Amino acid sequence: MVSEDEVKKIAKLARLDIERESIPVVTAHLNSILEYVDRLKEVNTSGVEAMSHVSESTNVLRSDEMRPAGASVLPQPLGDTEIPVQEMLPGEALLQNVPDSSGRFIKVPLIVE
Amino acid sequence: MSDLSSLSVSELRSGLDAKQFSSVEVTHSCLAKAHKLSDLNCFITETADAALSDAAAADQLIKAGKTAPLLGIPVGIKDVICTKGIRTTAGSKILGNFVPPYDATVVRKLKVAGAVILGKLNMDEFAMGSSNENSAYGPVKNPWDTSLVPGGSSGGSAAAVAARICPLTLGTDTGGSIRQPAAFCGITGLKPTYGRVSRYGVIAYASSLDQVGGFARNVKDCALLTEVLAGKDPNDATSADRSVPSFSGALGQSIKGLRVGIPKEYFVAGLSAEVSASFKRALSVLEELGAQLVDISLPHTEVAVSVYYIIAPAEASSNLARYDGIRFGHRAKGEYDLQSLYSKSRSEGFGKEVQRRILVGTYVLSSGYFDAYYVKAQQARALISKDFTDAFSTSCDVILSPTTPTPAFKIAEKISDPIQMYLNDIFTIPVNLAGLPGMSVPCGFSDGGLPIGMQITGRAWDEETIFRVASAYESATDWHTQKPSMG
Repeated sequence: MVSEDEVKKIAKLARLDIERESIPVVTAHLNSILEYVDRLKEVNTSGVEAMSHVSESTNVLRSDEMRPAGASVLPQPLGDTEIPVQEMLPGEALLQNVPDSSGRFIKVPLIVE
Repeated sequence: MSDLSSLSVSELRSGLDAKQFSSVEVTHSCLAKAHKLSDLNCFITETADAALSDAAAADQLIKAGKTAPLLGIPVGIKDVICTKGIRTTAGSKILGNFVPPYDATVVRKLKVAGAVILGKLNMDEFAMGSSNENSAYGPVKNPWDTSLVPGGSSGGSAAAVAARICPLTLGTDTGGSIRQPAAFCGITGLKPTYGRVSRYGVIAYASSLDQVGGFARNVKDCALLTEVLAGKDPNDATSADRSVPSFSGALGQSIKGLRVGIPKEYFVAGLSAEVSASFKRALSVLEELGAQLVDISLPHTEVAVSVYYIIAPAEASSNLARYDGIRFGHRAKGEYDLQSLYSKSRSEGFGKEVQRRILVGTYVLSSGYFDAYYVKAQQARALISKDFTDAFSTSCDVILSPTTPTPAFKIAEKISDPIQMYLNDIFTIPVNLAGLPGMSVPCGFSDGGLPIGMQITGRAWDEETIFRVASAYESATDWHTQKPSMG
């Protein structure tokens, strides 16, 4: 079981700002989930190797070569002349999603005094 | 041919190729249907103009004698999949203005196959949910009864196909998000084997479980779509370097002698009598077709939901750390220091369920709890996976179960009780944990006229046998031809 203070601590770790009046219900929901998953304790897992993924491969390595971003390895779309096969992501395309920018720079709050 | 949006892909293909109608006419029909049924709230973003110009281009190509599997066929895309130049929200306020600079590989593949992109479909925020009520863009309604949920998280994708808005849609499935809404909406949906389809450009929820798949109104259309989507992608290291078989080639083959496993652990207390009865009738149909029914045991089924609600939130808390309001997505207005800007932007941008899962994930990964929860869950995941391996190696070729314990439930019925909501995915979650392919096909209706789904689970990489069983069952039944009155 987690206490309301622990929930505040977890929220801080997760960079979430939970309103004071929501803390009791958030705590209750977390506890109902933790209580439910607690049945795992009854499973005997001694000697069982933890499974982090199901894929067959372990490490997938490739040479460190610069190549265009985007799904550039696929053939040209039918009749689509706008997307060249060698697709580069231009800086402007990336900057268009920045919430606050100035020229080619992303604006952020003061980080070091 | 007044209602082109109701036609199957094969009907559309032959009509388009024979010039009985054009892709522009088909696309107009789909857009008109979407407009007429806008109360269902299937779309977050419609791309009518682009769709019509793509359709016109497809018509030119058809006229020029070009062929491609989906040339001129309208397809809708779950809004968690990146589309170049088209807003992609993942159902979240935090990505309300996000316009991807590139296409996901699956979108690129659809374009290569000639598909016409109709728009972006509604979903539970970041694919977290089983009812579509967690969307920041409002809930989707079930076309069979608009007071009910369509299922989730790919609710818009399932509802659009069921309501005959378009013949095919893409979804994603982390714990049942394709199969459960397919069951609730009375259509066919496949979650392929983990690694069968590229996740490049798909906004991540739980990376070791997420997989892209398709919705269709029949098994053949689903096979065709899966052939287009599948295959190794160098941009996704977890996509498998395996050749893609002809799934269409598996259709129409006999299932005589095929061993169908029925897990005894799936007949749980929460299984409704109507679902159980429909499922049992489906089993007798398969038996008449020559399948051999085998009782099997998947002993760790009972803890699958617990394992999932540790592993998925853990991965989500890590994946969603990138939404910090700095480089893209929602940024809180006002003067803040850096840490407050992060937490303010995230709290304003994420909905309740997403925040809940981030908190659970952060907790189970935090020091002091990591071994007790996260490692323990990973060990139990290995046991769940082994249950399936053992069953497939000793007893059966496919495993059958109901897709969900009940038919679709009322909007607002379960939203305040997370555990009740989570238990909806009790039959679909184990399949994701084991990375196996699973399909839901319609197998009957409740007394109240709501669709019921049957889940067919196969060995890893053996979607072919799933298609074989689904196709045999579909040929012997007519559930898939029934449509909601509004469709």
